[in-house]
Amino acid sequence: MTEQKQFEEIVAQFVELKDTSELMMDLAYSSLLLNNRDLAEEVQRLEEYMDKLHTDFELRALTSDFKKEEASGFLGLIRLGVATEKIADAAAEMAEVVLRGIEPHPVLKLTIKEAEETVTQACVSSDSLLVNKTLKEARVHEQTGMWILAIRRGEKTLRPKGDTTIQTGDLLIASGYAEGVDDLKKLASPAQVCQVE
Amino acid sequence: MPRFERIAYKPIPVRELLSEMKNLSELMIDLAYSAALFNDKELAEDVLALESRIDTLSYLLDIEVMVAARGDPRDAEALIGVSTVAAATNKISDAAADIAAIVTRNIGVHPIVSSVFEKVQERLAKATVKEGSTIAGKHVGKLDLAARMGVDIIAIRRNKDWIINPEENEHILAGDILITRGAPQGTKQFKDLAEGKLTKLEETY
Repeated sequence: MTEQKQFEEIVAQFVELKDTSELMMDLAYSSLLLNNRDLAEEVQRLEEYMDKLHTDFELRALTSDFKKEEASGFLGLIRLGVATEKIADAAAEMAEVVLRGIEPHPVLKLTIKEAEETVTQACVSSDSLLVNKTLKEARVHEQTGMWILAIRRGEKTLRPKGDTTIQTGDLLIASGYAEGVDDLKKLASPAQVCQVE
Repeated sequence: MPRFERIAYKPIPVRELLSEMKNLSELMIDLAYSAALFNDKELAEDVLALESRIDTLSYLLDIEVMVAARGDPRDAEALIGVSTVAAATNKISDAAADIAAIVTRNIGVHPIVSSVFEKVQERLAKATVKEGSTIAGKHVGKLDLAARMGVDIIAIRRNKDWIINPEENEHILAGDILITRGAPQGTKQFKDLAEGKLTKLEETY
């Protein structure tokens, strides 16, 4: 493997650490807002995944063929990785509040709801254009600016993948700027008759 | 050695304190990554300044929570959740400060990191406002970027200073360097607008 390629793969691993830590933050806030154990447990699972990924990332960075004068830049990269781990820990601590089984304080829910970047849920009704589309086809993010973090289907919580098909009755849990919340709700249940819970 | 000063108590509702801590901690993460990716010392220093703001907020929040919990153990238990979340936002801001310190302490991040970030769908971008760009001279609020493109301007560099989290009534001027976060597609479109490669603000949704 060329050095360039080797370095690029290490950075790609860092990007995954960064994305996962941010997803964990969003999921942790969602779990608090909805007082949802599944989402909180997903955060804990991701925390374990982060630990593994982080170790792998550090080992690869340390064993790569960097030159002496590149050591400082690699140290910087390793420290970026440590920061993602710290963020992931913080998210896991937030999720623990839900897992302790105490209804989150109303102030927490209000704060999360009113934040600049918020999390929300939208139920998919039978008249929605999203029904029977895969997430890739649905282009929810392009249409609403909201990212789908998880899909609640009955008792299960699914992690979104491109080929996941959206079904009537699905509860979409999404994050993004507050401006996108209404757009998402309209897209998911145009006639506003959909109610889960 | 950092200096610690006595923090004067001011009664501020927990909700306001926690809101600011949440928003600020997320903003700091994005600013810190930007400072590292674009190797910008001044921006990194601003992140460190925000870190001490969060420390103050956290201290005030602890006081409010303790005052509110007087007497009832069940109230106290629910309030521990509030403290835990506040402490987590503080930890997130610490992580942002750690990232900023990579820049301020001259360690730096290997240039390959920035080049890979340009290739992946990234939420953070830097754009310079060219003379004659559609957005030059406009209010940040009037552009309504969050609603129209899913993009948010988190910092403006003008002359030698950074304006962090600009207010709605802030004007964008030619020559400004903007740091944005948001949807990758909108980010690209916004960069083109700023640089004058696109002239019309298209509705993406």
